[in-house]
Amino acid sequence: MKSTWKRVVFFALLAGIWELLFLLRIWPEYVLPSPFSVYKTMIHGFKDQTFLIGIMISMKRIAIGYGIATIVGVFLGLLIGRIRIFEETLGSLISGLQTLPTICWLPLALLWFGLNDKTIIFLVAMGAVLSITVATDAGIKSVPPLYIRAAKTMGARGWGLYLEVILPAALPHIITGMKQGWSFAWRSLMAGELLIVCLGLGHLMMIGRELNDMSQVIAVMIIIVLIGILVDRLFFIKVEKHIRERWGLVKI
Amino acid sequence: MSETVEIENLIDLNYVNFRTEVQTSTKLCVQGLSKSFQTKNGSVCVLDDVNLEVKEGEFVCIVGPSGCGKTTLLNIIAGLERADSGELRVNGRKVNGAGTDRVVIFQEAALFPWLNVIKNVEFGLKQKGVNSKERRDIALEYLKMVHLTKFQHAHVHELSGGMKQRVAIARALAMNPEMLLMDEPFSALDAQTRWILHFELQNIWLKTKKTIFFITHNIREAVCLADRIIILSTSPGRIKKEFIVDLPRPRDDNDVNVAEYSTRIMKELKAEINKVVACEMDTDSCVECDIKCTTEVPSKTDIGGGI
Repeated sequence: MKSTWKRVVFFALLAGIWELLFLLRIWPEYVLPSPFSVYKTMIHGFKDQTFLIGIMISMKRIAIGYGIATIVGVFLGLLIGRIRIFEETLGSLISGLQTLPTICWLPLALLWFGLNDKTIIFLVAMGAVLSITVATDAGIKSVPPLYIRAAKTMGARGWGLYLEVILPAALPHIITGMKQGWSFAWRSLMAGELLIVCLGLGHLMMIGRELNDMSQVIAVMIIIVLIGILVDRLFFIKVEKHIRERWGLVKI
Repeated sequence: MSETVEIENLIDLNYVNFRTEVQTSTKLCVQGLSKSFQTKNGSVCVLDDVNLEVKEGEFVCIVGPSGCGKTTLLNIIAGLERADSGELRVNGRKVNGAGTDRVVIFQEAALFPWLNVIKNVEFGLKQKGVNSKERRDIALEYLKMVHLTKFQHAHVHELSGGMKQRVAIARALAMNPEMLLMDEPFSALDAQTRWILHFELQNIWLKTKKTIFFITHNIREAVCLADRIIILSTSPGRIKKEFIVDLPRPRDDNDVNVAEYSTRIMKELKAEINKVVACEMDTDSCVECDIKCTTEVPSKTDIGGGI
């Protein structure tokens, strides 16, 4: 409870400073809108459902893209982590690709998929897949060999060994990678939506920019941050807590 | 959480003092087993022409100084490592690779932290494809045997070292293996816990009639547990001597007879320990433990699938 209050006070203070800066009129209103106008835009946007639709469309894209990235990433990580030939070939490609910003894929993606959802989903997946692959690989390499030996003497073979020993043992690493991948997925989503006219939250921001309506831009930014916090709270923190309790790791 | 083992009960059980009469057929047969490792300084021979037999229901302890290849021998028998040459038979059948007929209990319990206690015990049964109801029943039965039913839903990290090893024993027994291979399972435990577990293991052995192949560097532990003690020499590992221990059970580490037996065996082992000391300490030369192995690389046979 105490930490909640601390947070409330912190954010109230932040809004207060913001309002103060606005009242000082250092910048014109179209550069720095007041928190109240952002609040009004927010209410209005939710009332006429533009924000809600934007959220739905963006969430759908990120869900599909991130889902693909998770499956592909874990699979690639498994290959690299367990099979020497993939480590030597695919492994170096993956570490090279990590330095490439996702948005660099846009020209190619436009050519391959056209100006539509698929391009954005591809960008989202490309954004998240590498961190998940790298984390899965690291997780698999750090599975204590003792677990694998113990499992083998108990008759674990093939898929059973992978699904019931190696992946669960690597799960703490995989979750960390998924968390990082999630933030990269959002970045790619926004980059894609800002550049392609296709509804979604990024597009709403672009409309705000075109209409010189900074309160809409800031409102969308706040929505993105809120979704980030929400997903972290509802999913990642819960999963991490569960794993920490299971494994007896340090409590957060 | 506290460990609650009623020691009184463990001791008062009606043990059958000698089970030697029922030991008949050969369970494990090792013939001419050799193994060497490649290091920077050339090949080091860890095991050299090891021959041994373990009878059905027998409790055999392998004793030797550290680095004498005890664990390698156990790993080869378990199928986790491959021998350079030699033959390995279980129940007269040649074995190849790891199998559920030979379950290993490691020095660290090797329980899976993502599963709770009972799911750990069920693990091997699940791999075998036993259905969930039956799995649970078998797991509970063996958890009961190691007196840990209270902790069936606990997480692994909540258990003490001794409890973890007991879960590992239950997990191995649940597989209903032909033999248990135990690799210094109690060496990381404190003296009191080890004392309790020596009783428990003897008790379990008498109940289940399993063949146990137990590795230790602790001679008193070996005397306390084994029907037969095999002394392994070091560099290269060879079988040096065997002792039959025919003290009545249950034996106690602190029993006078156990202590006396231990002293006798200790004398035998002294030369080996001196060899290790001479090799590990800063002496000018280390002639004694130089590689005495044959230089030719023995041909590979299909013992142990390796990992």
